[in-house]
Amino acid sequence: MSYTLVVAEVRRGVFEERNLDSIGIAALLQKSIVLLMPDGAYEMKGNLVNIAIKATVQEEIFLNPLNFITILEKVMTSRGKPDVIVFTHSSSGAELASYVAGHFDMPLITDVSGFDKETNVFYKSYYSDKIFGEFRQAGSGPCVVTVRSGSFKEHAVEKGPAETVALEDITLAEGRSFIEYVEEEKGEIDITKAEFLLSVGRGIGNKDEIDDYQELAGLLRATLSGSRPVIDKMWLPKAQQVGTSGKTVKPKVYLAMGISGAFQHIAGMKDSDCIIAVNKDPEAPIFQYAHYGVIGDANKLRDKLKDIVKG
Amino acid sequence: MNLLVFTKRVPATQEEELRIVDEGRAVDLSKVPFKVNDWDNYAVEEAVRIVEKTSGTVTAISIGDAESDEVLRRAIAMGAKDGFLIEIDQILHDPGARATVIQNFLKKENVPFDAIFTGVQSEDDQFGAMGGILAAKLGLPFVSMVIGIDAFESDHVIARRELEGGLQERVKVMLPCVISIQTGINEPRYVSIMGVRKASKVERKFFKGKEYEDNLNPGIEVVKWVYPARKGGATMLTGEMDGICKDLIGILKEKGVYQ
Repeated sequence: MSYTLVVAEVRRGVFEERNLDSIGIAALLQKSIVLLMPDGAYEMKGNLVNIAIKATVQEEIFLNPLNFITILEKVMTSRGKPDVIVFTHSSSGAELASYVAGHFDMPLITDVSGFDKETNVFYKSYYSDKIFGEFRQAGSGPCVVTVRSGSFKEHAVEKGPAETVALEDITLAEGRSFIEYVEEEKGEIDITKAEFLLSVGRGIGNKDEIDDYQELAGLLRATLSGSRPVIDKMWLPKAQQVGTSGKTVKPKVYLAMGISGAFQHIAGMKDSDCIIAVNKDPEAPIFQYAHYGVIGDANKLRDKLKDIVKG
Repeated sequence: MNLLVFTKRVPATQEEELRIVDEGRAVDLSKVPFKVNDWDNYAVEEAVRIVEKTSGTVTAISIGDAESDEVLRRAIAMGAKDGFLIEIDQILHDPGARATVIQNFLKKENVPFDAIFTGVQSEDDQFGAMGGILAAKLGLPFVSMVIGIDAFESDHVIARRELEGGLQERVKVMLPCVISIQTGINEPRYVSIMGVRKASKVERKFFKGKEYEDNLNPGIEVVKWVYPARKGGATMLTGEMDGICKDLIGILKEKGVYQ
């Protein structure tokens, strides 16, 4: 049977929303959709596909690349090889996909955000979303893709009850084992509650600039937050990071200064009521998501704003 | 402990306007400066810190054109003992093809290692796949998105990997293994131009990529390069800085977040 295998991501018992993008691209591929998932959230989303296969292991085991190989071998023994294996482009999805591609020697295209049914071409971001590559599988056989969150959700359809199959007797690998989940320490500032976020990125230059942004935030009664590079360089605490690995925010106003707009950052702030972006680079992806934009040096604008507000 | 770190020379496109040329067959990078891939910088730093605490050596490896020697010199300036460059004269867009070349290289040259470090992804192609593909091809355990190494023992590593929404997963991984390093795990040390110059006196080894192309069958091909589809786009505030600031304050007032 020709089919697309969608590998679901379940985290602490929750069927992740981004799985709908994986099911969405599978619907576009117009193949029978088989959903493979761990125990736990199994009952929730079986109705989105034709067949749901439940690997009778917990998510921590299922999401371990070494164990996942064994699980996939079992699926392929019982149902034959899929045409396409779809993962989410997340921490775990990307990890599993690369290991599967290497182990089974399958072609891999990651971070896919578009697919053309006529030409069988996958769209993939390059150079921080400034250019996209159109990729095609070179040979035949199963192909692995990871899907960017938010790219295919609209194609997901309710299909009615799925046939369900259990996958038993999985021998666990010894090379890697789960110890525990670790929660991030709570910071003093909760950026998810702020109505007005002043967010800074790599474009502000260096750590010495932070104090001036803090002062401007104070003058404007805004809360200061930052994009990943700012947090990586420890210019601001981790609790103030906006993005997929930080916090998702929805303030009334999101003023992004010196942030170019990596998709992980965009995913964390795109639902803000009003986005204002200031960046030197007119091609910065953030301008595609902003309501208002200023092309220029964020630090110069900051200084001028401070002067005006101070009167 | 022998640690290998893969480091890549990439175009610094953050603030560059990129042009597609040759009817979509190429991206013009002729005027773009190049640099070490951000993720790899953290990977080199982490590997160097580990051998500084325990013992052993770090070897930096790059796959690319002759210019990639630059990133090896930089890694040596950061504390790597030596550097290997696998010279290839074509851009391999397929991470599976790159991993095949590396797998062949490690086997043919009989390179000893206890762990391989890579960056989670490279800034240019953003595949985020090399570490995983290589680990699987070598039949080794793999952990990606590593944001903390809590222990590095003779036979295992305790690592924290970053998940979404501020959650981390702590795992135990047996050596030898492949570890993909996420940015923010450490603060890469400053490297002076003098330091890089001094490092250039350390001998690097150069290998011809063609020697390692057995079973090199790219699984994917680039059809063409395209610009991203334009969405609605922002209303741009233009003019003198004074006027722009006043407009901006006007918007803040209109949205009710500033009086």
